[in-house]
Amino acid sequence: MSTTTTATTPKLWSGGKSPFNVEYGKLMMWYFLMSDAFTFGAFLISYGTIRFSTNGWPDPNVVFKSFPFAPEGVNAPLVFVSIMTFILIISSVTMVLAVKAGQNMDKKGVTTNLIWTIIGGIAFLSCQAWEWNHLHHEGAWWGMNPFLNADGTASSTNFTNYFFTITGFHGFHVFSGVIINIVMLIMTLMDKFEERGHYLMIEKAGLYWHFVDLVWVFVFTCFYLI
Amino acid sequence: MSHTAEHEVHHDGGTKEIVKVTIILSVLTIIELILGFWMIGMTSEGLRLAIKGSIVILMLAKAFYIVAYFMHLKHELKNLIMTIVVPLALFVWFITAFLTDGNSFRNLRNTYDPRFKEQSTIKVEKKEAPKHEEKHEEKHDTKHEGYLDEPRTTH
Amino acid sequence: MSNEAVLHAHSDVATHDAHGDHSHEHHHHETFITKYVFSQDHKMIAKQFLITGMVWAVLGGLMSVLFRLQLGYPDSTFPWLESILGKWAKGGHITPEAYYALVTTHGTVLVFFVLTAGLSGTFANFLIPLQIGARDMASPFMNMLSYWFFFGASIVMLSSMFVETGPFSGGWTAYPPLSALGDASPGSKTGMDLWIVSMALFVVSSLLGGLNYIATVLNMRTKGMSMTRLPLTIWALFFTAVLGVLSFPVLLSGFILLIFDRNFGTSFYLSDIFINGVGALPNEGGSAILFQHLFWFLGHPEVYIILLPAMGMVSEILSVNSRKPIFGYMAMIGSLFAIAILAFLVWAHHMFVTGLNPFLGSVFVLLTLLIAVPSAIKVFNWLTTLWRGNIRFTPGMLFAIGFVSMFISGGLTGIWLGNSALDIHLHDTYFVIAHFHIVMGVASMFGMFAGIYHWYPKMYGRFMNNTLAYIHFWVTIAGAYMIFWPMHYQGLAGMPRRYYDFSIWESFKQFQDLNRFISLVAMIVFAVQFLFLFNFFYSIFRGRKVTTLNPWESNTLEWTTPIHPGHGNWVGEIPEVHRWAYDYGKDGKDFIQQTTPVGADESHH
Repeated sequence: MSTTTTATTPKLWSGGKSPFNVEYGKLMMWYFLMSDAFTFGAFLISYGTIRFSTNGWPDPNVVFKSFPFAPEGVNAPLVFVSIMTFILIISSVTMVLAVKAGQNMDKKGVTTNLIWTIIGGIAFLSCQAWEWNHLHHEGAWWGMNPFLNADGTASSTNFTNYFFTITGFHGFHVFSGVIINIVMLIMTLMDKFEERGHYLMIEKAGLYWHFVDLVWVFVFTCFYLI
Repeated sequence: MSHTAEHEVHHDGGTKEIVKVTIILSVLTIIELILGFWMIGMTSEGLRLAIKGSIVILMLAKAFYIVAYFMHLKHELKNLIMTIVVPLALFVWFITAFLTDGNSFRNLRNTYDPRFKEQSTIKVEKKEAPKHEEKHEEKHDTKHEGYLDEPRTTH
Repeated sequence: MSNEAVLHAHSDVATHDAHGDHSHEHHHHETFITKYVFSQDHKMIAKQFLITGMVWAVLGGLMSVLFRLQLGYPDSTFPWLESILGKWAKGGHITPEAYYALVTTHGTVLVFFVLTAGLSGTFANFLIPLQIGARDMASPFMNMLSYWFFFGASIVMLSSMFVETGPFSGGWTAYPPLSALGDASPGSKTGMDLWIVSMALFVVSSLLGGLNYIATVLNMRTKGMSMTRLPLTIWALFFTAVLGVLSFPVLLSGFILLIFDRNFGTSFYLSDIFINGVGALPNEGGSAILFQHLFWFLGHPEVYIILLPAMGMVSEILSVNSRKPIFGYMAMIGSLFAIAILAFLVWAHHMFVTGLNPFLGSVFVLLTLLIAVPSAIKVFNWLTTLWRGNIRFTPGMLFAIGFVSMFISGGLTGIWLGNSALDIHLHDTYFVIAHFHIVMGVASMFGMFAGIYHWYPKMYGRFMNNTLAYIHFWVTIAGAYMIFWPMHYQGLAGMPRRYYDFSIWESFKQFQDLNRFISLVAMIVFAVQFLFLFNFFYSIFRGRKVTTLNPWESNTLEWTTPIHPGHGNWVGEIPEVHRWAYDYGKDGKDFIQQTTPVGADESHH
């Protein structure tokens, strides 16, 4: 068996084994993420197209300037969203650690790090819920845009339309990621992976979770920074 | 025996690498935020554009680190890397064509649709603007709803 | 346990041996439900796709007959129509609403359900594991789900035809505002909701299937089956799956935005709209062109999703039945690859007259015309494969040759349409109808027929009747040309597509007789398809039995399996492959199967 998977043999493509030395599940996960990248890509590119075909656009620093528990009218642009960003980055790090622990068959490490990742995911979702709620109170929703363009002219509703649709779709991905991670946690605690002798499922869940983080990098830039 | 060999092939870079990448990602994010803060209140369109460009480059760098290290793509075989990276090149034309046409659509309307052009020059009053706008929109919204419901009941 | 052993266990041992060595036991446990309904055997799933596709082909074809009836005989009434269509054919005359609904559903059903699911769903499932030497797909379970999502999509689409306001009627491309506003037309109400739900299910189905095909082709080839030893069918199906996985998600995004426009008051695609009886709409700032971009970003690759499987099967069938190696094997792969890439770069040639930036349009013209290069390579390679071959005119071979003929006739008009200047005149005329029906519709149907006739012995262990098949072929090819050739003239004269009644137009009255002729032929061709259906189902039970393992004397691996392969395909070990799939007429031997080891005195190819 050990002769068949020497990674550097030139006969990788000659059949009888995976040319990439990965099992099919991980391969499928990669290609699924690629197709999902096209889903998100299409959303963000549509947003860009509409923005390019419109004369004015609201200034994100004016729109996203509030902070939970801060007094009304606080002007803190970018602060809250940077906290959200760091939450997601840190949860990605704990996920890497969980995957790593899984490769070393370290059940305890997997459990702890998965729990931290789940907490990070829930924290991110809570932040998003607060922000949506806050914006909704300001009168923003699908089809409703209380904000003005940066130059003081009336803005089309597509600013909020795209904001809620794309962050919503991303939030849905985070939510499903959290669910997947919870399932992984339960399976770990039930010793499912110990029985199988490997933690490959955690790797696949990890890929999905990092993808969610990756998408946020783009969403964050497109909506809050530029 | 194959255990160790496999490890070397597949999972090199240890906790040290994770820490390193975490720091890089944080630093990149902080630079992005600094640039973002710098842009607030800036009037020079050219400089704004340059900063936005740099932010996009930083964004791509972050994406690279996440995919390469967190998602372990860098440690996979080159074939696998190619099958994933090459199709992403389609995004170049995807983005270029869409944005070019969006831009062209705006120019068309600015040239041939006087109302579109005019609307983007009328300033809404600053102070009361959001309130006013909100009411405006809500009225529209109810009208919209009404019209949507109408055919189901009467027509 | 080492990681590597795990990897191995997952990719090979688990899937192969579990189904392989115990396949005999499995057979005894199989119930009707697990064998015929929720089957995880790729061969059964392929048959499920095929038969569902055939049901849709009949329905879609029937729709075209009905609207051709209107176009050919606009002044006549057919009382029997009212008895089957009710209020949609008041007084025996198809209403305009029904006409548009028929046209729309005909397009949607034929493009997605018949030529995508029915074609690549059938043959990717059937041929990939058999020709690469695998026990089954990478994930048989996901494969099963893929079919059942398609089945769900079918049910929803079917049910949309029975709602009060009728099915969606704004064209298969579902452009807003017709698709975004319930007030736009009767079909834009519930019919459109169901249409979107159905298409969303279909996207899920094609993603599940596509991921599976890709992973299987890459990961599960048998020993010795390198990528350059694969039959061209597998290459074509592989690129088809890649196209689907990368382009369907974009359509999904477009649909999600459309759903928001329909139901939640957004204006992604809507701006400056006035509806008669309703007034001006508040929606501002959207762009209907954006939807067209998103739609055609899928829509154009979709054309190749339909065409590539047919190309692959035709390459294989031409080679087998000419008893010659396929000409330019690597060029064939290269051109498939080039087509797959170009498929993503040319979408806006469907939008030259939308107000697309003319400069951008000219870039799309250039990219579009580039497709002529790989297409021509393929055509010449097919012709040179036939050249001086020892041709056996089996029904499959006839349809494969018919495919080449159709692909040439339809492809040439593509060069006209790809030029934006010509397209201003030809856009949305019958010229376009003729072009894409010949090059994509009929050609792919021919590829599908070729595939069915050729692999039927493997599917059911029996042959189809040749006499019926020859009648089917000759009537279909003659009919297809008689239907679509005249449409070129109509289109050049400016006759627009999707019009309900041309007899009231002074400029198009002259085509009344021609329209009647087209309709008549369409009905004859439709009737002849029942000959095929009869042949298909009759032969399952009564066809001539296959008595040898390799009835076509073909090289590929599927003919090394038993006549009735069980779940797991091969009894015992999976065969090892020693050569490419096209050693025909080599060193004085008629054919050398892929499993034959290379002899010491053998010449190089």
